[in-house]
Amino acid sequence: MLRPSVDDHRVVGLYTGKIVSGVGLLMIVPLVTALVFREWDTAIDFGIGLTVCLAVGLGLQALCRTSDELQRRHGLVVVSASWILATALGAIPLYLSGHMGSYLDAVFDVMSGLTTTGLYLMQDLDHVSNGLNMWRFILTFAGGQGIVVIALTFLFKGVGGGLYHLYSGEGKEDRLLPNVVHTARVIWLISLGWLAVGTTALTIGALALGQAPVRAFLHSLWVFMGAFSTGGFAPQSYNTFWYHSLAFEIMCIIIFVAGSLNFAVHWAVWTGERSELRRNVETRSFAVTLGIFTLIAAIGLARSGVYTDALPLVRKTFYLLISGHTTTGFGTVYSRALVTQWGPLAMLAIIGTMVIGASSCSTAGGIKGIRIAIITKAFVQEARRMLGPDSAVVTSRYHHLKNRVLQDATIRSVLLITVAFLTLHAIVTMAGVLAGYPFIEAAFDGVSAASNTGLSCGVVSPSMPGALKAVYVVAMWLGRMEFLAVFALFGWLWSVVRGR
Amino acid sequence: MRRFITACTLGIAALLMPTIAWATTVSSTQLIEDPALWDGRTVTFAGEAVGEAMTRGDDVWLHLNDDAYVVGTIEQGMPPSGYNSGQAVVATPELAAAVTVFGDHRHHGDIVEVTGVFNAACPEHSGDMDLHVTSLRVLQPGTAVEDPPDAGKLTLLATTALAAMVAYAAFALRRAAD
Repeated sequence: MLRPSVDDHRVVGLYTGKIVSGVGLLMIVPLVTALVFREWDTAIDFGIGLTVCLAVGLGLQALCRTSDELQRRHGLVVVSASWILATALGAIPLYLSGHMGSYLDAVFDVMSGLTTTGLYLMQDLDHVSNGLNMWRFILTFAGGQGIVVIALTFLFKGVGGGLYHLYSGEGKEDRLLPNVVHTARVIWLISLGWLAVGTTALTIGALALGQAPVRAFLHSLWVFMGAFSTGGFAPQSYNTFWYHSLAFEIMCIIIFVAGSLNFAVHWAVWTGERSELRRNVETRSFAVTLGIFTLIAAIGLARSGVYTDALPLVRKTFYLLISGHTTTGFGTVYSRALVTQWGPLAMLAIIGTMVIGASSCSTAGGIKGIRIAIITKAFVQEARRMLGPDSAVVTSRYHHLKNRVLQDATIRSVLLITVAFLTLHAIVTMAGVLAGYPFIEAAFDGVSAASNTGLSCGVVSPSMPGALKAVYVVAMWLGRMEFLAVFALFGWLWSVVRGR
Repeated sequence: MRRFITACTLGIAALLMPTIAWATTVSSTQLIEDPALWDGRTVTFAGEAVGEAMTRGDDVWLHLNDDAYVVGTIEQGMPPSGYNSGQAVVATPELAAAVTVFGDHRHHGDIVEVTGVFNAACPEHSGDMDLHVTSLRVLQPGTAVEDPPDAGKLTLLATTALAAMVAYAAFALRRAAD
């Protein structure tokens, strides 16, 4: 390995500084919210957070000025370094609020927000300020699009090259347009379009449910951000169980399913290619696996006899399963009810959906539907090859934005990431069992963290062991980055120490 | 003879226990951890009303938290003591009207005691775990909560703002030099 030069470090520092400054500027939104609602103490917390981000971000840019171009080897390291700094600095206002048990808890919540996981350790959520709640949802909304995507949209100029490696480092590979900066802007255009429509619809719904206008708007904005980013944060500790409304649940489902779709599919539909939605292998894979796991969960619940009528059974099962499959993490049952009412079979079905997750290049986590589809097609192709004559040439095709032939190289890379995800799930489950939790509960919350889902059956709590919190923080990060950017950072550090 | 009568009375009472409306005081943790045990039974539950009352036709949903913050919020000086926990209850608009202060950042809500029938998965309310209130009383009225600026944090803000200005000056100078 080549030891990075001083100029290499400068390039990494310069771009990391830009992204950290961008994250700091995001704090203006909760700061203004706190000022509008006269939450002075919260406003000071965000003033401190903002100025620390700017001091670090601008300081890095001043120290690391260079004319060297951003290259591939820098891009992934910048992404990882930015996420670490953004998480550490983004935790400042949470910690200062007094609602966190420790700085690690604050880091946990920020990592959970940025990775759109939705697990939280914030205490007394039902009494937090509007400013603090706004920050939780800004984190999850920004994290859903990607903090690098934000920086590419507003702070960067250029046409590609190394910028593509910044973009892909956050787990997004599909370019919507040839220019990566334009791609980032289109992602924001799609998200903001949905934000306007979704928040309006939810606000009308919340007003009808009896919420006061300001609260209805804030709740709707936040629920939209939690849903579209497949984040799962909610403004009340009761999550979406708070609303007790079928109409509200349906609107949430529409929004988080939209958030779980590939941005390239959104763009195709926006530009008139509506058939992409039907033909894309990811949406097909999602529909099939959702159907299978919903059926398994319904069998489990029917056996346990919790819901005596069909309508509640269907409503609760479908909502939680689709929430798990899109890796959103919204729930309409108490967390512990998963253990005390739903039972192991239904919990296993939800774990299955969380492991798979939704679409690539979306806000969702998990292995992703396209990889499940490719692995399935690879198995079928291999079976056909074994059963066919020796001279037969067996090929397999799939449709993802265009018709593609399944290549061995694609299968290899898909299997590599899938094995990495499954290993991560095994490790977090083992960590939970080692910490003293029953296997099924350790698996449920562990997989939820690693797949960036956010559903919990009660393992995640402020009183859980600190070491397990740290394991979950790393798992959320690895799951969101899809490993490569994190491995690149470790490789970079290794080459600093041992490189030639 | 007296001992015999007492034994007979206790025996009959034990036999009738599951069927008579016996209002046991419970916590949300008891209800959530063992919903089957309490399903269909009349229970008494007390907690802080949070958020708002939400009306659905003839029903009003209230959310009552019986967690550590029932005695005061973090802004009122309570140390972080775990998650919120509580129970969603359904009351008539007349009963719910007694609750006037709901807990949020600026308020510590009314402490309310309700008695009613607990449903582990209410068929009337789409399988929600709820409690159908038959009586409600406010044990302690809610209060406003102040959120004054902390002097120590103001000093810290001045320091970090200075650091940001120095960083900006250095950044501007380097950019001008380039």
